[in-house]
Amino acid sequence: MSWHSPHPRSLLVDYTWLAAPLASTALTLLATGGRGNPQMWITLGTVAIVFAVLTACGVLRRRRTRYRLTDDAFELESGLFTRRARRVPRTRIRTVDFTASPVHRLLGLVVVRIGTAGEGELRIDALDRDAARALRAAMARPEPADEPLLAEWNPHWIRYAPLTFWAVGGVFVAVGTVYRVLDGFGVEPWRIGFVREAFSAFGASALWLTIPLLLLAIVVLGSLGAIALYVENWWRFRVEWTGSGALGVRRGLFTTRSVAMDRARLRGVQLSEPLPLRAGGGAKVAAVAGSLGTAEETRRRSTLLPPVPLAEALRVVRRVAGRDVFDRQLTPHPPIARRRRFRRAMLFAVLPVVVALVVLGVLFGTGYLISAAAFAVVATPVTAWLARDAHRSLGHAVDDEHLIARSGTFTRRTVALQRSGVVAWTFHSNPFSRRAGLVSLTAAVAAGEQGYRIPDLRAADAEDLADTAAPGIVTEFLVPPREGAYT
Amino acid sequence: MTRLRPPGHRVSPVAQRWWTAQALLVLSGPALLTALALGICSLLWFPGALVWLGPLLLVTLVLPAIGYLTVMPRWRYRVHAWELGEFAVYSASGWFWQRRRIAPLSRVQTVDVVRGPLQQSFGLATIVVTTASTAGDVKIAGVSDADAEEIAARIGEAAQAVPGEAA
Repeated sequence: MSWHSPHPRSLLVDYTWLAAPLASTALTLLATGGRGNPQMWITLGTVAIVFAVLTACGVLRRRRTRYRLTDDAFELESGLFTRRARRVPRTRIRTVDFTASPVHRLLGLVVVRIGTAGEGELRIDALDRDAARALRAAMARPEPADEPLLAEWNPHWIRYAPLTFWAVGGVFVAVGTVYRVLDGFGVEPWRIGFVREAFSAFGASALWLTIPLLLLAIVVLGSLGAIALYVENWWRFRVEWTGSGALGVRRGLFTTRSVAMDRARLRGVQLSEPLPLRAGGGAKVAAVAGSLGTAEETRRRSTLLPPVPLAEALRVVRRVAGRDVFDRQLTPHPPIARRRRFRRAMLFAVLPVVVALVVLGVLFGTGYLISAAAFAVVATPVTAWLARDAHRSLGHAVDDEHLIARSGTFTRRTVALQRSGVVAWTFHSNPFSRRAGLVSLTAAVAAGEQGYRIPDLRAADAEDLADTAAPGIVTEFLVPPREGAYT
Repeated sequence: MTRLRPPGHRVSPVAQRWWTAQALLVLSGPALLTALALGICSLLWFPGALVWLGPLLLVTLVLPAIGYLTVMPRWRYRVHAWELGEFAVYSASGWFWQRRRIAPLSRVQTVDVVRGPLQQSFGLATIVVTTASTAGDVKIAGVSDADAEEIAARIGEAAQAVPGEAA
């Protein structure tokens, strides 16, 4: 492989520094009616100089950064003033991670981080997604198939523990529990002296200080709780192929848990990324395994990995599925699926609140009307963003052995199901989806969640997918009938 | 361009009466009774409230109840259908939210005929074809008693004839 440079668009990332001064200039212009003041011109001048410097540095740095992958090593040269040339033997490369700040994402770029056995990590800031994927694919090193260990406890991964919804939700649950316990004893927390003092002090002093402090306290407490839970659940975990051909998981600090999943009852593997964890570049992995008990027991017992770095999660997925199931490009779902998501969220989440506030406004005064307008102004773009993300999550693909499907935004789930494990297909529709030409398809398997739903496919795509992924099931009910229905 | 066609056989027309009875018992009946009771109470003790309570009850309880009672059974009858193919069994069900499910005969585990108390009084039955996955059970609801036995037997035989696969 020859030398490569970061993507030209990566120059644009640095310009985000200019956003704040430019915004303040624009505000000044607005406030002064377009005349501006000397201070503003100074700011603008500074901005221009910074722009020039950033551009010069960026161009120079990009020209001086290059990487290549040879047969036995990865080489990266970088540095604006201090030149560094680093060379990592390919056998030392442990992980290839992608991260992307919102700005990177906007530009369609990712930062590639190459983790090594001990010499720190190498960063390329930044490549476009295809180049990054190609690099990762080129670096993938086949692991010895006879190595039974898939993954084990790594204390560094605890940093992913707070990136779950429980980190914040847990605090409210804990506070609620304490309140109920006190209530049960007949104690009214509001009457305890120190609570009242704290509350009046809270209200009396500057709210701009106390509210962030309270939020910070919630986040810190929640994170500590999440870390404690993570350690209790996952202390010294080991995931391995056992001698009898089962997938074995051992974990836990006070309660040790041990599960063995028969390979013959394994129907696939699932990667799940709750929104905060996804933003932090992490993921969880679960097996799609049968005969593990009730739905709740199955969910609990089939987890293979706690929140870990995405690259590590993908490595374990590869070892469980026996191939790179999540490496292929997924077929996106039609754009109307995005509009449906937006409309649905507006109708069921935003509109009721706005209507309630407007009714309150009509009854009790304009304060509520203003908050209704403010809520609508804030909630609409958020909804649009979430709908866009939900739509981008949607995708499906078929490889030699697996059916791959992805969906979800608050928790994005990507599942790979063995095609031979599909025992039935279900097509769901309602008058609205039919008018949009969409259908949801559910693959039934005798494992995991039993039914795996692929939402909002174009109707023809759904039929094709069902017919390709598990041939022979739907074939005879298609018109016109296909050749070689079931051979 | 291929298209998934609906299953070939409709269920028994009597099923519409069954679904009507079901709607009366579960949703429409209680809703209408509630509206009636509230109306009478209001008439007896707060005659002034009828002006706004009447339309409110009409919109929230009476019209939805009557709509459900008249629309749902017919709509369901248009949707519910089944077919036993050479390799798979296929059923369509639902009304507003519709479902078409297809399970290959090689995956069939059991074929049950279920008759609920209300169904029995209409001489109807539901055929449940189970697979190893709880999300893969094919149900044919609303076939006549006699047909049910015959269809179940045919599905059973067809499933026997096709070499089975493990789940």
